[in-house]
Amino acid sequence: MKAFEFTHDVIDPVALAATLADPAAGGFTAFEGWVRDHNEGRGVSRLEYEAFEELAQAEGERIVADALRRRGALRARCVHRLGALAVGEMAVWIGVAAAHRAEAFAACRQIIDEIKHRLPIWKKEHYADGDSGWVNCTNCAEAAIAPDFDYSRQVALPEIGEAGQHRLAQSSVMIIGAGGLGCAVLTGLAGAGVGKLFIVDDDVVDPANLHRQPLYNPNDVGRPKAEVAAARLASYNPTIRLLPIPVRLNAENAGELVAQADIVVDCSDNFATKFLVNDAAVLAGRPAVLASVYQYEGQLQVVRADARGSCLRCQWPEATRDGLVGNCAQSGVLGPVPAVLGSLQAMEVLKLLLDLPGQLRDEVLLVDLLDSGQRRISAPRARECQDRCTRVRPPAATTPEQELEVLLPLAEAAARGYRIIDIRNPDECALAPLPLGEHDAIPLPGLLDHAMALDPRLRYLLVCAHGIRSRAAAEHLRAVGRGNVWSLRGGLARQD
Amino acid sequence: MARVHLRYYALLREQAGRQSETVETAAGTPGDLYAELAARHGFRLSQTQLKVAVNASFSDWSSPLSDGDEVVFIPPVAGG
Repeated sequence: MKAFEFTHDVIDPVALAATLADPAAGGFTAFEGWVRDHNEGRGVSRLEYEAFEELAQAEGERIVADALRRRGALRARCVHRLGALAVGEMAVWIGVAAAHRAEAFAACRQIIDEIKHRLPIWKKEHYADGDSGWVNCTNCAEAAIAPDFDYSRQVALPEIGEAGQHRLAQSSVMIIGAGGLGCAVLTGLAGAGVGKLFIVDDDVVDPANLHRQPLYNPNDVGRPKAEVAAARLASYNPTIRLLPIPVRLNAENAGELVAQADIVVDCSDNFATKFLVNDAAVLAGRPAVLASVYQYEGQLQVVRADARGSCLRCQWPEATRDGLVGNCAQSGVLGPVPAVLGSLQAMEVLKLLLDLPGQLRDEVLLVDLLDSGQRRISAPRARECQDRCTRVRPPAATTPEQELEVLLPLAEAAARGYRIIDIRNPDECALAPLPLGEHDAIPLPGLLDHAMALDPRLRYLLVCAHGIRSRAAAEHLRAVGRGNVWSLRGGLARQD
Repeated sequence: MARVHLRYYALLREQAGRQSETVETAAGTPGDLYAELAARHGFRLSQTQLKVAVNASFSDWSSPLSDGDEVVFIPPVAGG
């Protein structure tokens, strides 16, 4: 008999209660959760429950065991329904047997509160008007019984105290990306007791993440990172709220998401997202803490456009394009590097929330973990932005792919009048020459340096190994006013 | 001739095969200096993809260099 289990069948409370019979018990209490016909003012016609079962199973058993231990009850059991339920059906049953009624009531209350708060269970509400929507049950948890999470070691800091701890509990932070940086930021802020953490990530756990992302384990592979991270952190610190948002940040949702929290933290792994976070933070008037890592190094910047400070575009007016820097090969990274940079980000967030001295602003911090060196580079607000930011514009629709890329055999592209430019490095060209007589070979850096030399009357088709650099280059050249440039989709790899 | 101290990060560190060096140069600006170093070390990043800091402040590519300056070329990085 498991202390916690899921079922797709109708729950039988009489049979369940019988399994808890114990001669030492003087009291028994049960709680039943039923499907009601309304929620937040809307009529509900039926519900569907889904759970992240492996994680919820182990966590559910832990919740029941904790409640028995803390409340001194004898035996307890919980069964949760999954699948489709009609109004009036029983969604959850909890039974507790104890020597006295007080322990039985207390343990029963703790179990249902903790289940609502900690378990990765979602319900889809079908409304009477025909609409429907998914609701994460942790969002509707009522105040749980205060668990054993003690902040006394940080409250003891004179700059923090009870007032500072209360301020953290009232704060909310939006973390974009739950990878190497994100794991460190999330762990730091969850431990500190920041009241509400939003986790935005549309990716799933990959085995290659594990060496530097300790919120995940091999059993999580293939699971949504935002949801696994939220469940792990909710069990680490049950006093805070974790809100997983398993979507990709894009031009359409960035503004709305960033405005929901007091501070936004960029832990993404690409330039497009970093610039989106920067721009959304500037427009919404929120501080943003940005970091990036590369092999043994990292960069950190705190954007305080909300307080007349500089932003990413003060140094990089034009967004850097993914694929333009470096080659297509993945560069490696050692786990402690994002852990250090992520911890520095968490520290900057806490400094902002607690108004601690020494806040980083109008600077870029360069960290090299091979020589343990740090450099602070002064990065003031751009001169033309003194009164008002002139470089961040509301996000525009991105160039449709079909207009930027073409997929044609190279010979046919040449016959159709495209001037072919091989933008690969000379060593790549020597290893695998372009299978085409007439073309130009201009390695990417040279092309970017001499963009203005391109003839506006011609049509250029850029070619690289996989179509990543060529696409980024075409995008960049168009952004600087060269509209007559296309990228060969898939590069040479797709020419067979 | 000016004697300048250089510090390389990320891709430039890899391509230069070193973290730092001190060079004697006739280059009068960070832009000229980068062109000189790019030829020597085979840097594959265009100047337009980089930022430069002189004595711990972001600088223009065309501001004058002085003897004893510390010059840091900063490539953008995005890993997370």
